[in-house]
Amino acid sequence: MKNVQLTRRQMLKGFGAGMGLIALAACAPVAPGAAPAASGDSAAAPSTEKVTAVFWSSFTGKNSETETELVKRFNEGQEDVALDYQFQGTYEETAQKVTAALQAGTAPDFTLLSDVWWFKFYLNQTLLPLDDLLTAENVDLADYQDSLINEGLRQGQHWWMPFARSTPLFYYNKEKWAAAGLPDRGPETWDEFMEWAPKLVEMDGTEVKTSAFAHPDGASYIAWLFQGVAWQFGGSYSDPDFTMHLADEKTVAAGQFYKDSVHTYNWARPSKDITADFVGGFTAASMMSTGAMGGVKTNATFDFGTAFLPKKEQFGCCTGGAGLAILSTSAEETRAGAMKYIAFASSPEQTTFWAKNTGYMPVRKSALESQEMQDYFTEFPQFKTATDQLALTKPQDSARVFVPNGDQIIGKGLERITVQSEDVATVFAEVQTILDEEAIPVVEALQAVEG
Amino acid sequence: MQIITISKPQVISRWAGQRNNWFAIGLGYVGMLLCLLIIGLPVYWMIIGAFKNTQEVYRIPPTWIPAEPTLANFGNAWNSAPFGRYYINTLITTIFGSTFEIFFAVTSAYAFVFLRFPKKDWLFLVLLATLMVPGQVTILPNFLTVSRLGWVNSYQGIVIPGASVAYGTFLLRQYYRTLPIEILDASRVDGSGHLRTLWAIVLPLAKPAIVSFALLSIVSKWNDFLWPLIVTNTRDMRVLPIGIYWLLVEEGTIDWGVVMAGTLFVVLPVVLVFLYAQRYIVDGIAAGAVKG
Amino acid sequence: MQLSNSLPKSEVINTRRRQTSASERREWLLFALLVGPNLFLFGLFTYWPLIYNTYLSFVRWDMLAPVKIWVGLGNYRFLFASPGFAKILSNTVVFTFASVLLTCALGLLIALLLNQPLAGRNAARSIVFSPVMLSGAAIGIVWIYIFDPRYGLLDIFIRFVGLRSPNWLLDTNWAMPAVIIVYVWKNVGYAVVIYLAGLQAIPRELYEAALVDGASAWARFRRVTIPGLSPVIFFLVLTTILAGFQTFDVIKVMTDGGPVDATTTLIYYLYQEGFVGFNAGRAGVAGVVLFVAMLAFTIVQMRYTERNVNYA
Repeated sequence: MKNVQLTRRQMLKGFGAGMGLIALAACAPVAPGAAPAASGDSAAAPSTEKVTAVFWSSFTGKNSETETELVKRFNEGQEDVALDYQFQGTYEETAQKVTAALQAGTAPDFTLLSDVWWFKFYLNQTLLPLDDLLTAENVDLADYQDSLINEGLRQGQHWWMPFARSTPLFYYNKEKWAAAGLPDRGPETWDEFMEWAPKLVEMDGTEVKTSAFAHPDGASYIAWLFQGVAWQFGGSYSDPDFTMHLADEKTVAAGQFYKDSVHTYNWARPSKDITADFVGGFTAASMMSTGAMGGVKTNATFDFGTAFLPKKEQFGCCTGGAGLAILSTSAEETRAGAMKYIAFASSPEQTTFWAKNTGYMPVRKSALESQEMQDYFTEFPQFKTATDQLALTKPQDSARVFVPNGDQIIGKGLERITVQSEDVATVFAEVQTILDEEAIPVVEALQAVEG
Repeated sequence: MQIITISKPQVISRWAGQRNNWFAIGLGYVGMLLCLLIIGLPVYWMIIGAFKNTQEVYRIPPTWIPAEPTLANFGNAWNSAPFGRYYINTLITTIFGSTFEIFFAVTSAYAFVFLRFPKKDWLFLVLLATLMVPGQVTILPNFLTVSRLGWVNSYQGIVIPGASVAYGTFLLRQYYRTLPIEILDASRVDGSGHLRTLWAIVLPLAKPAIVSFALLSIVSKWNDFLWPLIVTNTRDMRVLPIGIYWLLVEEGTIDWGVVMAGTLFVVLPVVLVFLYAQRYIVDGIAAGAVKG
Repeated sequence: MQLSNSLPKSEVINTRRRQTSASERREWLLFALLVGPNLFLFGLFTYWPLIYNTYLSFVRWDMLAPVKIWVGLGNYRFLFASPGFAKILSNTVVFTFASVLLTCALGLLIALLLNQPLAGRNAARSIVFSPVMLSGAAIGIVWIYIFDPRYGLLDIFIRFVGLRSPNWLLDTNWAMPAVIIVYVWKNVGYAVVIYLAGLQAIPRELYEAALVDGASAWARFRRVTIPGLSPVIFFLVLTTILAGFQTFDVIKVMTDGGPVDATTTLIYYLYQEGFVGFNAGRAGVAGVVLFVAMLAFTIVQMRYTERNVNYA
């Protein structure tokens, strides 16, 4: 009978599922991350000397292809270490997974961590101080870009090595510049840009078709881009000891400038995706990450230029991106191997390769002088501007990178003045109060760790 | 054995009271078209986005029919991540995950409806309350549990935590309650135990509801993203929705055409399954809800 | 049941009681066997996290430190006192109830429409249901495009009617409506399908009787359709409320809780504090409040249905 057949089929399905699951469990792949290098060792049993180091990273798309190539070169170039390289999500997700893995005892040996995440792991003493390993590998620390390497320096030791670093950069649409009769360069100062901006605004009736400038939203790191501007105006987010300066007169003045650009002078607009807007010709200029350069080059139908960030009282530009750190939970045998890779990936040759293929900044001074890089500059002069600016950059303020959620807290405040049009002094004062409060546990923890 | 016939609810094929009212019918078509436009246009937009190259995706004004149609996005999307492997993994986790859910729903619902147990109703509320625990709350503790079991980065780690089911149990319970009690009494008189009753009588009658729930479960497991992301560490264990994620970039310009193409890869099998079993869904969910 | 005359009365009664409790116990055992695994898994993977989360709401912990510092009600006091939290609660209520209302009302409208004898009805139902199958993230990305006030799809229609698009996702007044629109768009198909079958189950005779009584279309709708649909409406309202409270992916992709905090709901706040800020305590409070709110609404709703729903 049909009914009976159906039920038999369902029964069989049920049993089959059960059997299948048992079989599956029996031959499930041995999780490489399930235990530290010890299991990795046994999995790589054939060569008793070779150590496996587990490496987590956050790159997708083309960047990931480049990193895969780096790992491949490394693995093939020596016999001591085999890297098990895995993508874990965005910078944020990678940090979440490392946290969860640390709790569960399944953390990787070393990992990529972005500028706002590495400090948290340092504070909880889950990172390894790298100097002994650096010396053992004969790494030339002086050859690293100062601002980049100093950002990972605490208590005289290095905890976080630069790898995929970026900075803000001023991008401008050469066609629109020419149409407005402006010289083919970026503005020297914001005051100069104030003169230029009204000429760049294109109206479509009463609507603004093209703005002169665009601000991203909080989720797209407006707090990162504004940091440099605050410095340019003589202000800052905070001191290294967490004294907050957001509500200071000069920082407020910078904020006022941002607000006015949107609401008073009407030559700037908040935007959901500044890169898309720039490429689409909706904004004549914008500050964006150096990392956006590749995409802009591919997708823009016009010639674009790059320039240093404009000055106000002075020049100011921060660093960004991600670096590599070794976890203190890693096994002894894997640490040297991990350091080998870190040294390799940030070596002059490889950092050049990385920079050329991803748009991140080369982290070595000597890399800039290499013939390969010089040739690349002729091909891609916009990139040279970025590397020239690199020497002038400074590490970021503690409020953004060391206070939990600091970037978002400041970002929301900036949204309040650019998207809405609240009073800058009030908003910054409120944000500063929040930052002060959120910094308290960090200061306490820091005292416990550093004394 | 007695033969019981269950009649399906009558389908009203006319808006009761309307007789050849052209105006009303015309209005109906207009309304339907409006619906389709509002709901269907964004879906259409997604689909054609996959056939545009990135420059055209960014073009203003946007094009409705790709001016330079290209299949390159599909190739790029497929090659950018091991989609073949992802398909296999997703198939495995979906099949097992859904099988568990269906099995538990069918049996638990039967137990709640046809068996006696002290404080049964309270237990049912306990089951229902699990629908009120947001997923994010469970992520970290479950990760800890799963890693203690040694199941990180394994199929069982992905499947087991999601194997229990409350929504399906609720749905099937509603449906079972509508089945005439006579059949079951007849079956008991015949000497059948509960299990046999379940398999021989209840299941065939509840087929529409079970099939519909099965489809919903499959869709949900297929699109499951957050938990598989957290619990897997290596590329060879990942699932399709994570593959899409792979196409988004942290600090650069996103290649939307490729992202759309990738999304189509993920969605297509689900759409096919749905189209195939569409009529069951209408009968099933609805009946379960109606008899509530 | 015939009692044997040969047995003393007490013996017979004892035999009967023993029989029922034996079979009853067998049923209990079978129940436990059938329901047990399901409940056990829930206990382990849903209730244990809930309890753990509640515990976390009483501590200060950054998810990495070896020691969790007990702060009692400190987190609760912090959150309930902060001005931002009131906004979060109101966002949550607004989002949930607006989406529930719209989904259930529009769903009914569309269902009534698609219940008519129109050609292509089945295809239409498939299309209407299709957004349900798409992942929230993909939908969010497409809708960001659609909402763009310069070249989005929506803008084309708005200009057609002679109005100007607000800057939806970057306007604190319009971001919430935008997110609600996307959510309703995604889920209305589900409601339509349920209503359709509900409509088909209403006996035709009721309508014909009402016609005979001379009732107008509106009266028929009110007196026959709505009561006939009440079980469906109850089920839908309950499930969409629970889903609405927990909607995360659409908000994350489209607005990230912004601009500022215009679309930050309780679940988004939980994510932000737990997964970005790594503040286990505050995330814990959000989780507890969410659960309690949903439980409260469910209980209220269940009480209400006992009085107002007509089961056939």
